[in-house]
Amino acid sequence: MNNISNIDQSLFAKRKRANKIGLTLSMGAMLLGMVFLFWILGVLLFKGLSAIDLNLFIHNTPAPGSEGGGLANAIVGSLMIVASCTLISTPIGVLAGLYLSEYGDRSKVAAVTRFVTDIMLSAPSIVIGLFVYALVVAQVRHFSGWAGTIALALIAIPVVVRTTENMLRLVPGSLREAAYALGTPKWKVAYKVTLRAAKSGVMTGILLALARVSGETAPLLFTALNNQFFSTNMNAPMANLPVVIFQFAMSPYDNWVDLAWGGALLITFTVLGLNILARVVFREKVQG
Amino acid sequence: MSDKHLSSQFDADLNSLSSRLLEMGGLVESQISTAMRAFTQMDLDTCNIVIENEKLVNDLEIQIDLACTELIARRQPTARDLRLVMAVSKAITNLERAGDEAERVAKRTKRLIESGKTYNINVAEIRLSGQMAITLLRRSLDAFARLDTLAAADVVAEDRQIDEEFRGFVRKLMTYMSEDPHIISAGLDMLTIAKAIERIGDHAKNIAEFVIYIAKGSDVRHIPHEDLVREATKP
Amino acid sequence: MSNMKTMFDLNRIDSHGGTVDNTNQQSGQAPINALEVRNLNFYYGSFQGLKDINLDIEQGKVTAFIGPSGCGKSTLLRTLNRMYDLYPGQRAEGTINFYGQNILEPGQDLNLLRSRIGMVFQKPTPFPMSIYENIAFGARLYEKLSRSEMDERVEWALNKAALWNEAKDKLNQSGLSLSGGQQQRLCIARAVAVKPSVILLDEPTSALDPISTGKIEELINELKTEYTIAIVTHNMQQAARVSDYTAYMYLGVLVEYGKTDEIFIKPQRKETEDYITGRFG
Repeated sequence: MNNISNIDQSLFAKRKRANKIGLTLSMGAMLLGMVFLFWILGVLLFKGLSAIDLNLFIHNTPAPGSEGGGLANAIVGSLMIVASCTLISTPIGVLAGLYLSEYGDRSKVAAVTRFVTDIMLSAPSIVIGLFVYALVVAQVRHFSGWAGTIALALIAIPVVVRTTENMLRLVPGSLREAAYALGTPKWKVAYKVTLRAAKSGVMTGILLALARVSGETAPLLFTALNNQFFSTNMNAPMANLPVVIFQFAMSPYDNWVDLAWGGALLITFTVLGLNILARVVFREKVQG
Repeated sequence: MSDKHLSSQFDADLNSLSSRLLEMGGLVESQISTAMRAFTQMDLDTCNIVIENEKLVNDLEIQIDLACTELIARRQPTARDLRLVMAVSKAITNLERAGDEAERVAKRTKRLIESGKTYNINVAEIRLSGQMAITLLRRSLDAFARLDTLAAADVVAEDRQIDEEFRGFVRKLMTYMSEDPHIISAGLDMLTIAKAIERIGDHAKNIAEFVIYIAKGSDVRHIPHEDLVREATKP
Repeated sequence: MSNMKTMFDLNRIDSHGGTVDNTNQQSGQAPINALEVRNLNFYYGSFQGLKDINLDIEQGKVTAFIGPSGCGKSTLLRTLNRMYDLYPGQRAEGTINFYGQNILEPGQDLNLLRSRIGMVFQKPTPFPMSIYENIAFGARLYEKLSRSEMDERVEWALNKAALWNEAKDKLNQSGLSLSGGQQQRLCIARAVAVKPSVILLDEPTSALDPISTGKIEELINELKTEYTIAIVTHNMQQAARVSDYTAYMYLGVLVEYGKTDEIFIKPQRKETEDYITGRFG
């Protein structure tokens, strides 16, 4: 390499140096991020692992002052609220995304929809909680699991809309044209070809929305509130993990604090798992 | 749009093909001239020159044919390029055969000389038609060089005159031979020579017909002369 | 008058035949035109892409469109099945008669039209479904076929595209698992399965290797006995090999149109000759 006569050695050396500096800075930034991530996970594991046992899943939240207890009602409650949220937000979000991408591309309605979606994506979740409180809870004069579902749906839907629209846009126009060229009507092209081609991307979006709402606390504070006992009645206040953690974490009772750590661990690793799942699903699509 | 191909190599190849044809044509022309000189002067050495050089004509035919084939394989020519290559491939056959006729003239002349006999046949027709054949060939090659279809049409028309001369000579020869059987052998040689010249004229005519084919795209072989002229004068 | 399918003969479609009958073309009969283009002008916004095009596309023959980039050949092809309608700002004026029916008239059922005039594109685009489903997709649009009838149709279409032997053991695998050349043949099978009268091919082999290209050209040769085919190609030798008629276009104008043999041996226009011999100023 030193035989090549037209390479300016000083320029080359300077470039090498700049490269090294850049690399070092990037690695440093990454390490910094990783450090905090692993610190959080580490602390969670350290403090919460002890609480993870069968009791957690069998017993309900303990009354103030009583011993032991678990998080069964909160887990079930969270599952029910999140599940019903998904059932509502998925069709609405996907269809809205479908509309934005395939139909309303340049219309006024589409532009407004996108704008509103963007705002809601970044709306503070407590505001949404308050909104549902005023609209639903105050009207019927009681908290309920359904109100919680609605609040979470309002957070999840914009995410699904956005990702669905983006994933649909990634589908090449040539695929649509090929379907049209067969005489396929527009709705069928959108639904049976384009959506299907973007299937894994859309599913990823749904999973990500799920992951997001799983940990939301503020909205549930104003809507589902909490329930000390086991209940599957969505019309009444419902126990859920985030609010339980909120309640237990700063309490004077030791078992409550332990349970809070256990709950936090549970939520964190569930969300982590959902994110990883989303990635796996997407990669399969790209390779298959 | 210019007349040059995007590929300059293609241009060069086509031009080379044309010039080699003209080169071969020039060689054949000189062969015929030399053979006629040998006949007129009854010179043995001149005869031998023609007979030796015949090999060069044959070699050129083979080389140029190969060049045509290579051009088709590599370039897949179309339209006028295709017609040019097809026409060149055929025209060199005509030239080669014209060269054969020149050799035949030389060989028969040689036989006449070596027989040692004298004879009283007036061979004015042979000399005249020999000149005409050479001129016709030159004009057809000229027409090819310039792709001049009007000149080519003239060549086709004037080949007839050579045919007329030939028929005239045959009649005369028959008279001679019936009057004096001793000259039959010499007479037959002369007949062959006259026939060879007549054929050279035909080959020149063929080359002229190819010129019209290249330039106008019409195959004018075997059609009435008025139709040929019409094709040649089309814009 | 003939057994050819017009836009409204859907009732007579079966899983085997019912396609264009080219035995009408015995000597002495006037050629039948599948498509007749009259005074066609096309605009991309304010830019005029096609200028006063007049030509006939004969039934049962392959018509090729050649010309340099931007000459309008793809534009012309895409007016024939009104593909441009998908994009606002593109419009066509004039008449295109498809077996006597003007397809540019407002109120045309475009989906029905496109099932009668099919198109295969440059880039192979199998749907994200199994090979079987890819072909069944189009066939289901306008026909009700039982499971066994559909099986037959799929096999028939794959045979027509010379893909049956390679695909018959993997009908349930994704269409994307095929090679490029196979995918393109799948797209052709998909187009054929709907039993159109006309098949439009937009540079169908540009993205393929020479062997796949050869297979598809052979396919075109077989398909033309039953379908009318129009093909856009930037490869002149391909046009010379596969087509019966060739149209040369330049800057949105139809410069010359005639029998392929004549165009390639003795074109009428100097512009045509300059293009096909590779002479460009």
